[in-house]
This record gives sequence, C-alpha cells and structure tokens, in this order.
Amino acid sequence: MAGHSDSSSSEKKSNEAMNDVPVFSAENMQNNMKVIYYSRTFMSIIGGVIAGILGFTGFMGFVFYFLVMTITSIGLIARAKFSVHSYVDSWNRIILDGFMGGLMSFVLFWTFAYDIVHIF
Amino acid sequence: MAEDLVLDTAIRDWVLIPLSVVMVLIGILRYFVSKLMRSFQTPDPKIVKEGHFLFCRQVIVRARNLRAAANFITPKSFRSRRVYFSNEENGLLFVPKGQAQNLQAQMFSDPNMAMDMMKKNLSMIIPQTLTFAWVNFFFSGFVAAKIPFPLTQRFRSMLQNGIDLSTVDVSYVSSRSWYFLNLFGLRGLFSLILGEENATDDTQRMMQMSGFGFDPSKSLSAEKDGLDIVQHEWALPKFEHRAEAVLKKLVS
Repeated sequence: MAGHSDSSSSEKKSNEAMNDVPVFSAENMQNNMKVIYYSRTFMSIIGGVIAGILGFTGFMGFVFYFLVMTITSIGLIARAKFSVHSYVDSWNRIILDGFMGGLMSFVLFWTFAYDIVHIF
Repeated sequence: MAEDLVLDTAIRDWVLIPLSVVMVLIGILRYFVSKLMRSFQTPDPKIVKEGHFLFCRQVIVRARNLRAAANFITPKSFRSRRVYFSNEENGLLFVPKGQAQNLQAQMFSDPNMAMDMMKKNLSMIIPQTLTFAWVNFFFSGFVAAKIPFPLTQRFRSMLQNGIDLSTVDVSYVSSRSWYFLNLFGLRGLFSLILGEENATDDTQRMMQMSGFGFDPSKSLSAEKDGLDIVQHEWALPKFEHRAEAVLKKLVS
C-alpha cells in the first residue's frame, strides 16, 4: 500500500467552509480528481498484469477488473478519512470516475501478460 | 475449438514487444514535439481580429466567474454587474446579429488559425497512419496474440485480418488488432509517465477543435442567457454571527 498512499498523498481539502452553502476550491478539486485518475490507471495496469499471470480468461477477468476497481475506491475513500464531501463534491466522483478509462489499459496489460506467460 | 495453440517464442520477442515499445516511444516523441511547437508560437499582436477574439475570451471568463460566485456578493452589487454585462445597448455580452455572422466568417478565413488547426490535426494523424502502414507491411499474415476473452464470430473479419484460416478461434488475433489494442490502452500509461494530460487523447482534442471556431457569437449569447437566469441568493447573511462564534471558540 506504500505506492498507493504515495500517489494520493497530495489530496487537499477542497471544502473548508462550514456554512450552509458548500464552497469548493476549484484548483484543489482538480488536483484531487487527477490523483484519483492516476490511482485508478495505475491499479488497472497492475490488475491487468496480475490477471494475465494468474490466467484468468473471459468473464473471470472482467470480474477481477471490477474487484480491483472496488479495492481502489475503498482505498481512496479510506485515504480521505471517510469524510468524502470535504474532498470531492459527490460520491459518484470518487467511486465511478476512471472506470471506463482504466478498462482499456487493463485489457492491454491483461492480454500482454496472459500471452507472455501462457502462450509462450 | 478449445485447444490451445502454442505460438512461437520468436513472435513474442519480435512482434509484441517491439510494437509496444515503438508505440510508447512515438507517443513520447509526439508529446515533446507538440510541446516544442507550442513554445514557438509567439502571440501575434498585430492581428486585430485575434485581439478581438482574445477580448471575447476574457469577457466570457469574467462572466463565468460572476455566475459562479454570484452568491458571495451583495444583491445590489451583483445586479449592477449583471447589468454591465447584459445591458441591451452597450453591455459587453450583447452582440448584434449582423456583427455575429461577420465575426464567424472572418474567424474561419483567417489563415493563421486554419494553419494552427491543420498542424494540430496532422500531428495526431500522421504518426498513427505511418505506424499502421508499417504494422500492416511487416507484421501481417500470422497469428500474433491471443486475447483472453472470447468474442463472437462477427469480430473475426476485424481482428484476424491476415489469417486466412476460418477455423481458428476468434481469440487468436493478428498484429493489427494488437496495434489497436495498444493504441487505446497506452493512453492511460502516457498520462502516468508524461505528467499532465497530453496530446494522445483524441476525444478531448476533437472537442477543443470544434469549440474553436464558434467562440465569439454563440458563447457570448450563451453566457448572457446563463447570467440572466441566475437567481441571486445571498449566502452570507449570518456572516457576523459566524465570525463571532468562531472567535468565541478560539478565545475560550
């Protein structure tokens, strides 16, 4: 998890105000979204390599991808110390953001590792 | 067909890995080239239309900021700012219809801007085309990889282009499909190793391209409408009370 916490060590609070209207610092929000995106991409690449080495095929591989994404989401939420609203503006962002983008990288590295290991 | 074909190790060494390496290197090269080209473009102060264009851009940014932060200024000052922008006669956002058409026509016929768009488009398309032609020339006619998930028969013609046996499982693909897989999958890798968002993201650049030409008239009127719609809600009425509470907490 050291690599994981490294990449999200620069999450900043984007909602500091305590009044009724939530205030968002746009720059910090953008930085947080970038961190989330990088974390997801990195995890999907690693997940792809693992899935290839373990020899998952077909449906199992996609199930594994969703598993990896869920683990990433849980990690990010834990990193935000469970007060998600002070870092991003809605739950959907931290959970669903880079899902589809990571899929292509996952498939690429999954194919690569699978081929190298199993059809050598 | 459930048997596994065993493919030659040489394919791994001489097809898959070099293709991926070449695509990564080309992506990095393209990133640096686009950075260099951008630093060569100095802003041209002598083009009056460009000046007008930049002025419109700044007005739009100001109007957008006003809309976003509308609730933090008093109602009266917000209203006065809004009138300044959307006043019928001399408001900044109001563009009479005749002038709007003119601006757009001028924008498109401006040679500088057309050249810019062409350059950016070409710098995307040419490496892709060249690499695709190279892949087709050298790496066709054999099975290159096996994709780990099954696909239907309809994908066969797309993925197995050089392979002429029709009984081979659709999972065994030619190198052309390895090229496409790399094309889409390396985008994530590029964003990790090259820092910020770079030129390999096609969809974003397409959107930027289409937003370029329409900038003056349509976005001005869109901003004006948005500004007119805003309902001002004074969000800081109890400001002094809140300050008092916070100070009390600090002191006690």
